[in-house]
Amino acid sequence: MSGIWVVLEEREGRIGRISWEAVVAGQKLAALTGLAANAIVIGAQTEALAAEVAAKAVGKVVRVEHPLLAAYTADGFTLALQQFIEKERPAYVVFPHTYQVRDYAPALAARLGQVLIGDVTAIGEGPVFTRQLMQGRLNGSYRHTGDGPCLISVQAGAFRAEELAAAATGTAEVTVFSPSIEPARIRTKPSERFRGAAQTVDLTAAQMIVGVGRGIKDADKLPLVQELATALGAELGASRPICDNGWLPMERQIGSSGQTISPKLYIALGISGAIQHLVGIKGSQCVVAINKDPDAPIFEAADYGIVGDLAELVPALTEAVKAAAQQ
Amino acid sequence: MKIIVAIKQVPERDAQVRIDAAAKWIEESGLQHALNESDAYALEEALQLKEKHGGEVVVLIAGPERVGPTIREALAKGADRAIHIDCADLGKLDALGVARLLAAAIKPENPDLVLTGLQSDDLGQGQTGVILAELLGLPHSSLILHVEKTDAGLTVKRELEEGWFQTIELPAPAVLTIQSGGNKLRYATLMGIKRARSKPVLQVAEAELAVDAAPVVVLERVALPQKQKSTQILSGTPKDAAAALVEKLKFEARVL
Amino acid sequence: MLLLTATLAEPQYFSLAEKLLLVVLVAASAGGFWLRFRVVLDKILKSKKDASFHLFPISKRVWDFLWEVAFQAKVIRQRPLPGLAHAFVFWGFCAFVLVTLNHFASGLGFGFLDPAGCFGRFYYGFAAVFALACAVGILGLFIRRFLVRPKWLGKKLSYQSGFIAFLIFLLMVTYLAAFFVSDAAPATRVLWWVHTLALLTFLPIIPHTKHLHLVLSPATVFLSRGSFSRIPPLDGDEDFGLVAGTDLTWLVSLQAYSCVECGRCMEHCPAANTGKLLNPKEIILGLRGYLNDLGPKSEEPLLGKYNPQEAPFQCTTCGACEFQCPVGIEHLPILVGLRRGAVNTGAWEDDYGSKLFLALERGANAHGLPASERDKFIEKAGLPIFDGTQEYCLWLGCMGGYDPKGREIISDFARVMNYLGTSFGVLRKEKCCGDPVRRLGNDLVFQQLAEANLEAFAQNKVKKVVSICPHCVRTLQEDWKDYGTPPPVEHHSEFLARFADMLPRSVGPGLSPGIGTADSEGALQAPEKLVECVSKELFVSGHDFSRAENAAKSSGALASAATPSKPEKIVFHDPCYLGRYRNVYKQPRTVVKRAGELVEAPRSHERSFCCGAGGGLVFLGDETGERIGKVRAAELVATGASVIGTACPFCNSIFRDALAEQGEGAPQLLDIAQLTARGLPVSGAS
Repeated sequence: MSGIWVVLEEREGRIGRISWEAVVAGQKLAALTGLAANAIVIGAQTEALAAEVAAKAVGKVVRVEHPLLAAYTADGFTLALQQFIEKERPAYVVFPHTYQVRDYAPALAARLGQVLIGDVTAIGEGPVFTRQLMQGRLNGSYRHTGDGPCLISVQAGAFRAEELAAAATGTAEVTVFSPSIEPARIRTKPSERFRGAAQTVDLTAAQMIVGVGRGIKDADKLPLVQELATALGAELGASRPICDNGWLPMERQIGSSGQTISPKLYIALGISGAIQHLVGIKGSQCVVAINKDPDAPIFEAADYGIVGDLAELVPALTEAVKAAAQQ
Repeated sequence: MKIIVAIKQVPERDAQVRIDAAAKWIEESGLQHALNESDAYALEEALQLKEKHGGEVVVLIAGPERVGPTIREALAKGADRAIHIDCADLGKLDALGVARLLAAAIKPENPDLVLTGLQSDDLGQGQTGVILAELLGLPHSSLILHVEKTDAGLTVKRELEEGWFQTIELPAPAVLTIQSGGNKLRYATLMGIKRARSKPVLQVAEAELAVDAAPVVVLERVALPQKQKSTQILSGTPKDAAAALVEKLKFEARVL
Repeated sequence: MLLLTATLAEPQYFSLAEKLLLVVLVAASAGGFWLRFRVVLDKILKSKKDASFHLFPISKRVWDFLWEVAFQAKVIRQRPLPGLAHAFVFWGFCAFVLVTLNHFASGLGFGFLDPAGCFGRFYYGFAAVFALACAVGILGLFIRRFLVRPKWLGKKLSYQSGFIAFLIFLLMVTYLAAFFVSDAAPATRVLWWVHTLALLTFLPIIPHTKHLHLVLSPATVFLSRGSFSRIPPLDGDEDFGLVAGTDLTWLVSLQAYSCVECGRCMEHCPAANTGKLLNPKEIILGLRGYLNDLGPKSEEPLLGKYNPQEAPFQCTTCGACEFQCPVGIEHLPILVGLRRGAVNTGAWEDDYGSKLFLALERGANAHGLPASERDKFIEKAGLPIFDGTQEYCLWLGCMGGYDPKGREIISDFARVMNYLGTSFGVLRKEKCCGDPVRRLGNDLVFQQLAEANLEAFAQNKVKKVVSICPHCVRTLQEDWKDYGTPPPVEHHSEFLARFADMLPRSVGPGLSPGIGTADSEGALQAPEKLVECVSKELFVSGHDFSRAENAAKSSGALASAATPSKPEKIVFHDPCYLGRYRNVYKQPRTVVKRAGELVEAPRSHERSFCCGAGGGLVFLGDETGERIGKVRAAELVATGASVIGTACPFCNSIFRDALAEQGEGAPQLLDIAQLTARGLPVSGAS
């Protein structure tokens, strides 16, 4: 059994932050189990990606490469990783909990007679894996029993990418693994990705964001919020229900199904703090929550909070910000 | 088209979460249950496909006796028949175990399409549909918002992160997991409920499906989450609280 | 005087030819009448049986018949002048029964009422008085229709009505003129024949026009459903409401054919008055058109061609239409029936409606909020939990449990009950009473809610219920009867009125008790003390900024010094579900009078104009046309009152929004519980 393998995912030609977080998780697991943690990149042309990974302290790096892995397909990735796992026989395989992973890792696990422990938020002695139940209102401790590899995926923001050091001595060892995949085995045909709406908004880079949630009640309060955002020089974001209603475009959605943000300042207006949203804001340096309900989960995630009516607080805050700017 | 929709009955969304005596699950007494939210969207998608292309919609559910009203609700909304796998304690199975039960019931039906909700409101694993595809040997895709039947098979709209989407073409039969929000849900009507009374519900005992159920992953215990850090709550009149906040942001957090 | 000695002249002799002619004309006229009337009767009789119709108990029917038909009470009361004119026409017709019978009998040679005889002189003189009143009445009505032209009679002039009016006038004139001629004069014969022809022309016209009400409406009034807005239970597994012609019962068909097109329903309809599609008169006439064209056996949908589907869904179920109708048409069961037909079959597709139904399918309240919100409020407000030992179960409802304003009203009412030492508790779990889905016609969800709640009542041993919401009161007390036996329910205005004498007066803002006692001649408190009282009042109810906003208004009002000798003016808005639905008008006014000077809105009591929230509409999307709530709020503000008193949390929330647009000068908005509680000593908090 050859240790811990972390599968990294590509985002626009580079390794996404959540993958680095998975590596950190893998290293935590390594510390607990005494096994070595290594990394996998997967695709059709993985040289550049592997180089990026090898620059970090990740143990070995394997490039699982095949022309049919150019675009992600569940069949392709499952088959490739199945072959690697059957050869390498790892004790643990760690994934980042992305949409892509959710699409194939359970099938991969089932093929191996295993069950993926998904969306893990903490790894403890045992190892025991913690994941959230009942929409974040309960924590469950999971353990892998039986033989064979244990597959886990880790939640975005559960581990901090910053903790990943650069490689100690030069770069890590990189090898190539070529799975055998027949074209007929790939049953799905994905298209190019596309945006829902025309304009592109990149919240991931924004330094200040004001998020709007169901608490504003009416779309006609949005101008108040926009005024605050303008006064702060912040981007406007929203929780899912606001975008579902069409009050703001989909690309302004912050959360597990929207953008993951990491601004200096995030102000959550009328957002209750459902788990899907908290997942998206974990990377924020400072979180301010304004909500009518003092028991809203958002306050747990916030550094500062004000309990009150948005209709009164938002304009008051806008005034205060403007006043401060003039000083 | 013959569409099977695998649904789950879960504790209702605003149920009070209390840990049971053994700290292995939540206290079930006094809980109200309802149809899992994304399963309702899966059912809606199936019904719309049936309305367009004809055929039948079969709902499949595993659970104890209390899932009866959820079955009736699905039938009332328009499903043609139901299969109920009577399973007293789903909690003793892991995701693979549950999927094996469902797969055993699905196989003899030979459906053109199997739909499940994206994930359940209680365990939230989001795996059942994907595992089902593997067990049934069918192609699959997840996080689907819209399904269209074409001559070649199916074309689906899949949700990606950060506001992106993609279309996937795949052959039928296939398994799809449906994301919430893709359609407007229909409400159960009186007419639907009355008609539902005469729709067949096949009861299947867990033992009949002869499925290997020893779990490889076990939920050892549950606990209420800890409050992480202390939040500073600023009070007073709106004007005062706003001013105090700006002070803090400027000089304490130093983000303004 | 000539009149006193005059007798009615009639031709003493009719030739055989005349008699034959008379017979032929009568036959033709009666035949003409029957030809059309038979069709109408047929349509009514062929309509579905009405399973919820019970002839007994009959006493209310007899009373309603006497009051509404014989005494024309509704006709006169709601539109006094035209009503009286019509009443005289009607009474004239009644008085003329013997006259008319004798008229034809004598034409055939069998006259039985001798004008010269003792009884005859009396009777014909008596009838003459009515004839005069009738003639004046019909002339007045004619002038109204053709010269004044009120808008609820419709835009098109009804020449048919004009012709009938002319015939009636002619009948009266020919009768009266006969007092001024002698038996033998040729003029008498002319008058007699003109009178006859007028009658015989009138008869066949009746079933072809709205004058059918002459025949039908007494029956319609007598055969009504028995109580206001009585929504019948569904009849069997295939009954989903009014979907097609086959669902129209004979009672609905009878009502559709009885419509006189007077437009009284339209006059007070909040939807019709604010530019919406809905017009209650058109709904009824639409059904009549359907019956005329397609009949009661047709499977064609009722909504679509004859009435657009949106129209019934713009109804707030305020009941002004049904309340006003002088011929006994019951609009509400019809409107709800049409909604049922669309909702129970899934034909109604509306985003907000679906959201409401789904929220109540799964959750406990109509807002879609988690039930834990209600629990938090109960804890914060320190409300006792009902455990079977207390006298009252205080029903919070969706507004009292979740809406900030509703919660304030509950808190204040709880304070009052504590002050009085009345024991009460709130249920640990409440589901929505089901009013919005009941009025929208979703019987599936309503049944689920009613049964679940009734079971909770039984389990908790609830004996008496008090509620701050007239919709809850109505639904609990009446609509839940379809699924069980609810305990007695009262509205908090009824409770407060009963104890009015035990509660301190609460004249003016923030004045502590002791001031303004029974004779409201107390000493003026120094202004500083008044301010102190106000700020204490501010935080007792311990809620949120909305209370502060009212207090801020009242401290502004201090400057205008509402003193015990100059109490502030409070205009009371009668909620539809308390007034028309429950006949409760006095009790809330008793409460208001102890808090200030009662001022009436132009449309009050049973004519109160709806706030627009009812019928489930407050949960649906935005209104088209003018906002009903704005119209009513403007009417209330125009009275010059400084406070608007409400007794329904929905009215309260609607007016809150409407007044928000008015800014600083807007009157205060207070529920009667709040008006009462402000007079309580601060330490009397729960």
